[in-house]
Amino acid sequence: MSKTKKTGAGHYEILFIVPNKFTEDEAKKIATKVDAMIVETEGKVTFSEFWGKKKLAYKIKNNEYGYYGLFEFDLEKENLAKIDNNLRLSTEILRHQIVIKKIKTEAELKREEEIRVKIDSKKAKEVKVEKTGVKKDFKEEKTDKTTSVKKAVASKSSGLKELDEKLEGILNADDLI
Amino acid sequence: MATKKAKECYFCVNNLEVDYKDIRTLRKFINFYMKILPGSRTGVCAWHQRKLATAIKRARVMSLLAATHK
Ligand SMILES: [Zn+2]
Repeated sequence: MSKTKKTGAGHYEILFIVPNKFTEDEAKKIATKVDAMIVETEGKVTFSEFWGKKKLAYKIKNNEYGYYGLFEFDLEKENLAKIDNNLRLSTEILRHQIVIKKIKTEAELKREEEIRVKIDSKKAKEVKVEKTGVKKDFKEEKTDKTTSVKKAVASKSSGLKELDEKLEGILNADDLI
Repeated sequence: MATKKAKECYFCVNNLEVDYKDIRTLRKFINFYMKILPGSRTGVCAWHQRKLATAIKRARVMSLLAATHK
């Protein structure tokens, strides 16, 4: 924190634990209190989530269970200490952690999308190779089950057409029997 | 058992970000005694290994992961 600038806007994420002595509804109320606390200090909540009751990995002040709450918010850097202090003093919150959350720029998002498309195409290729390796008898037996999966995988229309033809053939055969 | 064959980084290959709340993923890089495994063993690249270490430590603070095995 010392190296970063002390003024300006930032994007943060807070995760907190409400002790088990409260009920779920009370825990949710406490979560809204945290929300109000952020709004009070001129923050803007962009995302919120209530995880519900979870078992803690280790006991904290003799609590074995706790309710988790999550908020993402924009805030001026100078106001962050206030929230941190308020939460630390609060008896309704067992533990909390504020983390700097990076906001992705458009260029980064675009690049990520490109990579995702590349990976997907690579995976699709691998699946196709697997498909051709399967024996024919086996294929015919299990077409009914596997077609739904194959349809989801096959992105090109040519594969779908082949499948449709095969399906029709099988259906006709069934009618004959 | 360190494998001679170079593994690929799990986060680079799957285009994932390291998130301290995603315990299921973090679990893969922790041993039975809840210690952080070296990148040389898991194949995670140095850049992601640094992110992973901080993520695991953050998860420990929030009691999402145990710091020790009982
Ligand atoms: Zn990596």
